Amino acid sequence: MLIYLPIAELSVNMFIIFGMGGAVGFLSGLFGVGGGFLLTPLLIFSGIPPVISVATVASQIVASSASAALSYWRRRMIDLKLATVLMLSGAVGTLIGVVVFNGLRSLGQLDLIIGVSYVTFLGTIGGLMLSESVRAILNTRRGRPAQLRRPGQHYWIHRLPLKMRFKRSKLYVSAIPVVALGVGIGFLGALLGIGGGFILVPALIYLLRVPTNVVIGTSLIQIVATMSVATILHAVTNFSVDIVLAIILMVGGVIGAQFGARVGQNMRGDHLRALLGLLVLAVAIRFLFGLVTPPEEAYSINTLAGGPM
Amino acid sequence: MRSLCAGLATLLLSALPAAAEQLTIALSTNNIRIDSGFTGDALTVFGVIERDAATISRNSPYEIAVLVKGPTDTVVVRRKEPLLFFWVNRASETFTAAPSYYALNSTGPLDEIATPPLLARFGLGFANVPLQVAGAAEEATDPDFREAFIRLRKEAGLYTEFAGGVDFIGTSDSVFRTAAWIPSNAPDGRYTIEVYLFSGEVFLAHQQATLNVTKVGFEQFMFEASHNRALLYGLACVLLALFTGWLAGVVFRRD
Repeated sequence: MLIYLPIAELSVNMFIIFGMGGAVGFLSGLFGVGGGFLLTPLLIFSGIPPVISVATVASQIVASSASAALSYWRRRMIDLKLATVLMLSGAVGTLIGVVVFNGLRSLGQLDLIIGVSYVTFLGTIGGLMLSESVRAILNTRRGRPAQLRRPGQHYWIHRLPLKMRFKRSKLYVSAIPVVALGVGIGFLGALLGIGGGFILVPALIYLLRVPTNVVIGTSLIQIVATMSVATILHAVTNFSVDIVLAIILMVGGVIGAQFGARVGQNMRGDHLRALLGLLVLAVAIRFLFGLVTPPEEAYSINTLAGGPM
Repeated sequence: MRSLCAGLATLLLSALPAAAEQLTIALSTNNIRIDSGFTGDALTVFGVIERDAATISRNSPYEIAVLVKGPTDTVVVRRKEPLLFFWVNRASETFTAAPSYYALNSTGPLDEIATPPLLARFGLGFANVPLQVAGAAEEATDPDFREAFIRLRKEAGLYTEFAGGVDFIGTSDSVFRTAAWIPSNAPDGRYTIEVYLFSGEVFLAHQQATLNVTKVGFEQFMFEASHNRALLYGLACVLLALFTGWLAGVVFRRD
């Protein structure tokens, strides 16, 4: 069934878009990630303009993260103080991200930067995830216990000034890495149409040593907040949030996520991480391929503004 | 400017003492409405060539070109070129007042119905689409950009040329009909329909009409809101997202 998208100004097959939302939702439920890094490229590859894809996926991420964030909220598995610092810095990062996004767009380099960033970030994170989980799988095969990090370990990060106390996380750390993380995730989120959970969660665990029981909830709250800001800023500055596309993706996404979460409960953590790592790497490779192979069509058209009639 | 010239030409011709033909045209619709089920729509143009007793007889048959043009935009055409390992947008050219839609139907091949200067004057044919390059006049413009622009628009179904797309109805040589397809990716706005009558490569008459392609109902409301009340629209999107998330949590709650 074809449906007309009022902002993208083209008609798409509703069931295909719904299916994409559902499939990405399934994977996001399975792996416990937002799925923006899959959904944005899928939309771009299926012919939705990158600007519309990035801006609309921001609103879709709000929906999919909000439902999970609520359940963590009910179970009080959130460090509110940490979340607030992350959210405020995230809003700043989002603002910078949208400004850069619009600047790149008018220079005609948006696609390139999106591509290069996807290759860099997804390549790195996917590679790390895959190698870490493969090591964990091999260790369990050989009957060795998983390596646990000793809690007393300190990095240079813990020696930075401007320390803040986060009671819920039992942390006393410098505000600098927390703010930097918030700004960075907000920036990437607005620029690339990703929630950034797959970067934020490992960063909170490994860099800041946030306890695992609050890390997911806290990161979800941060993602809901920054993606809400990103949605509004994209809507105000480049009018590219397509509400019809967003609704289809949201509904598909939240339904898919429920099934994904159910399947995910029956799978082992290291297996899940290995699969997620593979998936992330695959998206990175797809983008790399698009950047280095000679394009079939070297030319592209960009409409600037309605001229005189 | 162009339409003014064409208008003057028509005026001059009609001022000649009853020598020339008159064109009368009608559209199947003056308003195409874009709603949620919009997948494109056909526009049919009908026309009659009117002659009176004083009209001189022509040695060659009538030839007709019907041009449907969409609202104009300023567009940038970019070309990817290799830079180190990557293919990067480097060279670009900006066209002002580029028609967003261009459908040209004619009774036969363009080079047989009118002389090149006439085709150029009326902007008939892909080679004559009026594209003005922005910036310093004639600073070594690269014709590849123009070609690429037209090729991409053709691939998008927005630029079409159909020699033989105008038919005379039945056995008459004065009543004709043609159809143009407005695809779903065509922008909304005011479209112009220009009909040119030729005979023996000589221009005889011109007539024009307009068509409005408008978003209606929900689509129009959303588009307006997203542009004129962008902040409210953005907030509404966020609230909708939060609501959907909350609703999903309630519906699928497992604890």
